[in-house]
Amino acid sequence: MRISWNWLSELVDLSPFKGPIELAEFLTHRGLEVETIDRLGQGLEQVITAQILEKKPHPQADRLSICLVSVGSGDPLQIVCGAQNMKAGDKVALAQIGAKLPNGLEISQSKIRGIFSYGMLCSEEELKLKEHSEGILLLPPLTALGQSLATFLGRDDTILTLKITANRGDCLSHLGIAREIGSGLQKVPQLPSVESLVFQKCPISIDLSAGDLAPQFFGCWIENIKVGPSPDWMVNCLEVLGVRSVNNVVDATNWVLLELGHPMHAYDASKIRGSKIQVRLSRPQELLPLLDGITVELTGSEIVVADQERAIALAGVMGGGNSEVQMETQTIFLECAEFDPIAVRRSASRFQRKTDAAHRFERGVNPSGLAFALARLAHLVIQLAGGRIVGAAQAQLPSRSGIVSDRREVKFETYYLNDFLGFPRDQEPLTLEQVKSILEALDCRVEKQDNAWSVCPPSYRLDLNIREDFAEEIARWIGYDRIPSTIPILSSPPGFLGSALPRLTVMDRAKEALVRAGLNETVHLAFTSRSWLSQFQYSSFVQLLNPLSEEYEMLVPSLIPGLVRNALENWHHHFGSELPSIRLFELRPVFSSSSPTIEARSQAETGVIETWKLALGLSGSRFAQALRSERGEVDFYDLKAVLEFLWVELGTKGVRLIPLLNSKSGGHPLFHPGQSVEVWMGSSLAGHFGLFHPAKAKELKMRAPFWIAELDWQVLTQLSRPSAGVPRFQAWPEFPQMERDFALVVKKGVSTEKLCQLAVQVGKPLARTAQVFDIYQGSQVAEGMTSVAVRVIFYHETRSLQESEAESVSARILEAWKKEFGAELRS
Amino acid sequence: MIDILNGIGSKVLKEIGDAIDLTSLEQMRISVLGKRSVLSEVLKGLSSAPSSERPVIGSAANAWKKQIEEALDQRKEFLERALLIEKLQNDRIDVTAPARLHHRGSYHLITQTTRRIIQILSRLGFDVTLGPEVETEYLNFEAVNIPADHPSRDMQDTFFLGPGVVLRTHTSGVQMRSMMAQAWPMRILCPGAVYRCDHDATHSPMFHQLEGLWVDRHVKMSDLKGILEFFAKELFGAETQIRLRPSYFPFVEPGAEVDVSCFQCRVKISDACRVCKGSGWLEILGAGMVHPRLFQVAASTSELFKNSQGLTGFAFGVGIERIAMLLHQVPDLRLLFQGDVRLLSQF
Repeated sequence: MRISWNWLSELVDLSPFKGPIELAEFLTHRGLEVETIDRLGQGLEQVITAQILEKKPHPQADRLSICLVSVGSGDPLQIVCGAQNMKAGDKVALAQIGAKLPNGLEISQSKIRGIFSYGMLCSEEELKLKEHSEGILLLPPLTALGQSLATFLGRDDTILTLKITANRGDCLSHLGIAREIGSGLQKVPQLPSVESLVFQKCPISIDLSAGDLAPQFFGCWIENIKVGPSPDWMVNCLEVLGVRSVNNVVDATNWVLLELGHPMHAYDASKIRGSKIQVRLSRPQELLPLLDGITVELTGSEIVVADQERAIALAGVMGGGNSEVQMETQTIFLECAEFDPIAVRRSASRFQRKTDAAHRFERGVNPSGLAFALARLAHLVIQLAGGRIVGAAQAQLPSRSGIVSDRREVKFETYYLNDFLGFPRDQEPLTLEQVKSILEALDCRVEKQDNAWSVCPPSYRLDLNIREDFAEEIARWIGYDRIPSTIPILSSPPGFLGSALPRLTVMDRAKEALVRAGLNETVHLAFTSRSWLSQFQYSSFVQLLNPLSEEYEMLVPSLIPGLVRNALENWHHHFGSELPSIRLFELRPVFSSSSPTIEARSQAETGVIETWKLALGLSGSRFAQALRSERGEVDFYDLKAVLEFLWVELGTKGVRLIPLLNSKSGGHPLFHPGQSVEVWMGSSLAGHFGLFHPAKAKELKMRAPFWIAELDWQVLTQLSRPSAGVPRFQAWPEFPQMERDFALVVKKGVSTEKLCQLAVQVGKPLARTAQVFDIYQGSQVAEGMTSVAVRVIFYHETRSLQESEAESVSARILEAWKKEFGAELRS
Repeated sequence: MIDILNGIGSKVLKEIGDAIDLTSLEQMRISVLGKRSVLSEVLKGLSSAPSSERPVIGSAANAWKKQIEEALDQRKEFLERALLIEKLQNDRIDVTAPARLHHRGSYHLITQTTRRIIQILSRLGFDVTLGPEVETEYLNFEAVNIPADHPSRDMQDTFFLGPGVVLRTHTSGVQMRSMMAQAWPMRILCPGAVYRCDHDATHSPMFHQLEGLWVDRHVKMSDLKGILEFFAKELFGAETQIRLRPSYFPFVEPGAEVDVSCFQCRVKISDACRVCKGSGWLEILGAGMVHPRLFQVAASTSELFKNSQGLTGFAFGVGIERIAMLLHQVPDLRLLFQGDVRLLSQF
């Protein structure tokens, strides 16, 4: 909402404010946020109107001329000018010496090709009145000389742009802002004095047949008007407030809209057929040509203003082209009405015409202000376009007759305001007298009945309906900065909510573990494109009905596509000879739907399934910085190490890794089948980790191997502390342990983990752990064989072991290895 | 004979002192103390000496022997140390060569900021709770006093997934879910991703919010102010001031926009300040007293919220990215979601 300082000062005394900045602060602190302050005349201070008395060519330059310029008083000035479009007698804009123009140019006395110049004749571009202009600005012949150009152009004004919140429809006009200021300063705004209309003798009658959707309609019939351009002051003022001038009648309706906040409309009365205006619901498939030249097909649920044959306006939104005021129009019918906010909002959005009128109706207009606004408009039209009021008509539902605001009485306990806002009772700044006087300054009718206030808000304050609304009014009036600061009392013990505890604690710990493992957390937008997902063979998506673009059409079904894109982008913008290390993790929900169409199932159920996932992606060097020979590239075992570290940190129990080649669930198309695993937790498949499939990687032009993991967070959480309890102390052996190392040769493909498990199993109870410490394939062992070095550790809780005991268990283990895996000791 | 002995002794001691390496020292030991050594030769002549002199010569010889042995050991130790020093000097490495650095992990700025805020507010007794990102239109809007066809809907451009299903535009739905499932008193923080149709340097279609809700009997607006003041001072520094301005959010009444004094131009507001752009204030959150309509909705759904006489509450919502960008001076919101390791590894 753009507000003119000059206009506002006609409605309310602005002298208590030093200037627009102070006013802006005042308004902002009352909840009417001023976003910009635009001083229109800035840079025009030293520019005045002048007249060229004489023009002659510059002796030294063909393109320059020397003008003798009068400013009305004093001696004429000599000005050198490069423009060609002026002649002696023209009225022009003269920038005097010392002027600093809006484009930054400073004017000083200068000598141009040997001739002194005492100022500059300006173009519209130089004055920033237009983006581009040719030649200098020529003013109308009757322009008085020596006056400020800003005043002459109506630009000696300041425009405040306000952000009006959706509840304050009453502030969408100069009057509304004036009232707001007036209430704060306890001054009553001055409305223009207008002679009331007499509601009789109107050639047409008004019929309200849309019920509550159109509770009031006022009209005025004026004949013998002369449509034409509006005067310059009005054109200029409308323009700086963002309204394009059309003609004097239309401009008058817009003027009253900006002044009083009532949307108004003017019909060409000669085009109204029959003797009755009907406000009714549209008929299905009824056609209505709008003012903007486009014909819309109505649905039967819009309110329309109609004559006896057809709709002539989309009520509250836009007039009809079939009744438009045009240059030849001589008789007009003016409308000021109240329409239902929801109905207008639906019409405006259905036909995508968010007009100024609709904007105000959606927020509600003052139900008691219609007659005044119509009278104001009628007189303004006559002032601008001549003519004579023939008569006026009105129609109101019973709910709108009388004083509307009386029906919105609110009662609350006397000290409610003090207690709710936190002000002490009966003390400054909120004694009972102060409450009363503030509410009265806000134009409320206040009565104290026993221990309660009874308050009736003014008719234009549609937002004041409950006691909390009045609490805000009081707080606004006193100033939020005067509300005390207190710390509330804890009336129950603090503590995490039972249900959220495991989820949040595990989440925090998991992130901490991964950060300690040297991974960077990343957060991606939850959106992705159909085409990107199809690269990964994901098929069922959750799709947005109104996406920003194709790129953001789907909600992610998995975190892997995002990680892959992330790696690609990181590689892409890297310039060095070696690719950067990528070590990322992300923890967030992914989306799927059990049914193909998404629809709310109840007030709280959407049918969309959100599954939290943890994803990891590793690529590049094992160290952040090291010499080339020591750096090493991450591989499967680095990724496995990160995950095992995570499981230890979370206390995760029951994790089983199944090589993807042995998968019973059908593998995974995004993982290298020989270098990836399924992660099972309990009886659930919790996810996968391993190498991103090389064929896919090649297709996507990935520049390095990418090691990835994606785990179901829900499953992981269930099997982790604190769900599984607090870890207990475990004693370590008191007596010395014995080690035996075995160098075995087994067939390639034998699981070293299983070798170790077997050793512990057959070596029970003395063999406690078995650990692989070397794996070798190559020229020292036969083709197709692998050499595996295993260390078995033996101990007894209560005594030292004999050599012979370890020997006999070792023999048993060797035998079992041979039988089960064909393992031989390496010779 | 004593003289000969003394002559040999002092000569040998001098030679030992002059020995320049361990090899020549060892040869010296053999030639002085060995069976065929000079000293042995002298002692062989002992039998020809008068018997009265023998003990004197004998003890003199032993004394010399002991003295020479000590000298040899000392010299050996000295030479060995010299050798070691020389060896260590040759073993030197380039200590200025680069360290073998492990990767340094990091929390995303959104997580860091959220954790900081939760840390501060949980000291006041708030609990944390989460909710779904895909929300019903009812809980996201109607239940929090944003009816269909009301202009306040325009405040938040909404992504729809289907009839009645939206991507949540704020985390207020979580507050309603909590009020429908739990008894009061209630003090909760709801962090998480929220979505609005908007994309430029200061708007992302997905961003993060943290909303706080405190519901109890007789909660006052001054309590809201006190809590926010504590929060602002803890987050931005003890000198921080807050400023509440009236504003409108449909789920609160009264509503407020909350500004904090610029932490950058603490002493003197500077027009050139990149953080507050010369205003001295930063708009960081929206807040207000819970609209009674929300309690009515909760009471209509949940037994736990019946008997809500005298129940009041306050709520506030803070944009995580906004705080993160202010504190860390990140110039473009979009950077936070690009996963660029050059950004991630900085914080």
